[in-house]
Amino acid sequence: MMQSSYNISIAKHSRQLVSIKNFPLEENRITLLFGESGIGKSLIAKALYGILPPEELTVRIGNEPYETYCARNDVRELQTNSFFVFQEPSSHFNPLLTLRSQIQQVQAAGISIEPILKRLWETDDRRMLDSILNIYPKPYRPSGGEKQRLLLAMAFMKIERLINQTKLDARTLFVFDEPSGSLDDHFRNVVLSFLLDKFRTRKFTVLLITHDYSILSALEREAADLRHEIFYKELSMENNVLRCTDFVPDRYLNWLRAERSARFSEQPVSWNRPILRVSSSVEVFGRRLELSNESSCNQNCALELFPFSMAYLKAASGVGKTSFAKAMMGLVPSKHLHLQLKNVLLTEVTVKKYKEEQLWGKRMVMAFQHADEALNQNSNVEGTLTGLPVKMSAAEIRTIMKKLFGSNIEDTFLKTKVKYLSGGQKQKLNLLRCLVLDTDVLILDEPFNGLDFNSIVNVLSILKEKQREGKGILIISHNEEIFDAVISPDRVYYLHASPSTM
Amino acid sequence: MVPARKNITSMVQQRKEVRWLSFWLAGMTALWAWDALFLDPLSYELLQAAILNTFCGAIVAVAAALAAGWGTALVLYFFENGPRTYFFLPVLFIVNLLRSIPQIIGLLIGYMLLNFFMENGLMQFGAEQIFWMACVIGIMCSPEIIDLIGERIAYFKQSDYFHAMQCCGMKERRIINVEILWKSSSAHLVQKSVSLFGSAIFLQCSIGFIISVGLSNEVSLTNYPVSLGGLLAKLDSKQDILAIGSALINPSYLPHLFFQHLQGVSVAAIIVFTLLCVYHIADGLIHSYDL
Repeated sequence: MMQSSYNISIAKHSRQLVSIKNFPLEENRITLLFGESGIGKSLIAKALYGILPPEELTVRIGNEPYETYCARNDVRELQTNSFFVFQEPSSHFNPLLTLRSQIQQVQAAGISIEPILKRLWETDDRRMLDSILNIYPKPYRPSGGEKQRLLLAMAFMKIERLINQTKLDARTLFVFDEPSGSLDDHFRNVVLSFLLDKFRTRKFTVLLITHDYSILSALEREAADLRHEIFYKELSMENNVLRCTDFVPDRYLNWLRAERSARFSEQPVSWNRPILRVSSSVEVFGRRLELSNESSCNQNCALELFPFSMAYLKAASGVGKTSFAKAMMGLVPSKHLHLQLKNVLLTEVTVKKYKEEQLWGKRMVMAFQHADEALNQNSNVEGTLTGLPVKMSAAEIRTIMKKLFGSNIEDTFLKTKVKYLSGGQKQKLNLLRCLVLDTDVLILDEPFNGLDFNSIVNVLSILKEKQREGKGILIISHNEEIFDAVISPDRVYYLHASPSTM
Repeated sequence: MVPARKNITSMVQQRKEVRWLSFWLAGMTALWAWDALFLDPLSYELLQAAILNTFCGAIVAVAAALAAGWGTALVLYFFENGPRTYFFLPVLFIVNLLRSIPQIIGLLIGYMLLNFFMENGLMQFGAEQIFWMACVIGIMCSPEIIDLIGERIAYFKQSDYFHAMQCCGMKERRIINVEILWKSSSAHLVQKSVSLFGSAIFLQCSIGFIISVGLSNEVSLTNYPVSLGGLLAKLDSKQDILAIGSALINPSYLPHLFFQHLQGVSVAAIIVFTLLCVYHIADGLIHSYDL
């Protein structure tokens, strides 16, 4: 019988990466693991699966050295029976082999990949699936979503093999690390329902790591019968101690309901003039990006951002939401851009000097999607907030930080280098750098990336505060469930791309 | 105390640059002690002055290279990306011209100018002469710094880092000077400075040889401050070096090198040993900071 809790310690040289006592993992159950980015979820999963490199890391599981743990028969059995779906699917595929031959490496006798692919792609078109399987992986093809589904297909083949196996007490651990990272909500639900169907057929151990809290709504709908077999856990850092606590799904679901009803109870405010108006069509990097306020994209419309309001820009992954936002900020070359910011018209020929002196950080600001890239990793926390066009004392910095980081902002934290922060802390700092500025317009690209639930609630309340101050906020996010609940449908814009013909 | 000692020991064991720095310091101390015991007082005094002048000159050369390189790289960047793009090509041409001149030719030009200054009574003191030649070395080495800074800026401009700071209202000059160069490239600049320090010592030795040729009465071995190169170019030092060859043919002569030919042997050893250690320190920094 697999033990249900583990003491895990992972260190690199003298630096402790993860140290957790009693990490729970129930055998033949589904465990959903939440927690902010960089807190150590993937490391814990890799440690338990036995795939961390012992020559680079000092790992202990319980009282055992890692080499002893990995050499155990039950761990080897677990690796044979299971599959690890990594967070970054690109690193999985060999560019020198077709996808078909790579999938065949996992294939077992009597198990066909075809029904799995048909289910994951929701298609019966064999030729379309063949065309995907016959390609050699390249950075741009298959797409992120396709790669993710191919990897999941490999995991499902292992599950299928397990179902056909006669040994009923086989040890398993299927790790799904951010399985929906590159999928939209629809295909996320397809994968989830497939997994649940298989789980109903034969029980196996699943560790599903995610930041996507909207998966809870999907599970509420799809897995009511499995209520006692699904565990919800959250990793959090309290006083520098990593803890794994129970996460109650109702916390999220009730909050979401409250947000939704608060939106309905809000009186719509009519404003004659928007703070910001962007032309319905912009050409960026040779692609024409068009805006519309209906998902069918039949009729183009200009994006209008009013004071005291939040707007939401939606598009499928890879369409160019971030490029569009950068074009709005005048950071990338564009064509046919007409951006009216109150009384000022900005176009692609607006000079950089004007943007530096009048626009960036003064009237418009943008928080970038990847905090890791947007922040200077070699700067410290305090240094990240210096050099901005707003003068703040150390006390003011602490007050603002308190809202996002909690009550204890110690000097040591302010002096900590950004590279040593967790992914969630980096994201909060990335957002904070924009939120401290007094600009009319805020553009936030994936503001909830890597955040835990408490941080999401805090960020949203700060955004609402900004909204009440009269700011216009444009959100770009794949977190549709949350923003659909918070933002009125008439403030939702859809972006679609077409080859440039202008 | 014990943990501190433990830390130093493990640092020396793990980090190549610390190991080689310790080795260099130990070697130089041992050499200094040996010379203090066995070198005649006049030569010993000359050797000390030569070491001081050469090393101070190398430090000034590195500082000059950093200042000239940093400044020129910024000028190039702002001309290329600012409204005055027409200045970019002329400045780039000057930098490329400087790059195309062999360093030794640059030193000869510096030597000619030094001669001119001294003829006109503009440079009277030895320190001024060393400072001038160190600045010439620094300028000749500055293209390496210009390239490094240009690469660092280009690297960070590719990522969201630059745009993210820019659209938060951070001034471009702050992003480049503070965020990119000071906070994120100091290890690169330190490593480059260390390797330039080695080049500066080598080039200063070359200056000593240029001066020893006797091209000018104004600047000669007698009125230019003593340096390691100058000391090595003296006749007695040359004889000491030739004695190394004799010792190879006749090994029984070897002990005489450490007592009778100490001046030339010491200078040669300091130059070679320092250049070797500087090379390994710079190489160690590349590995330690993953540059």
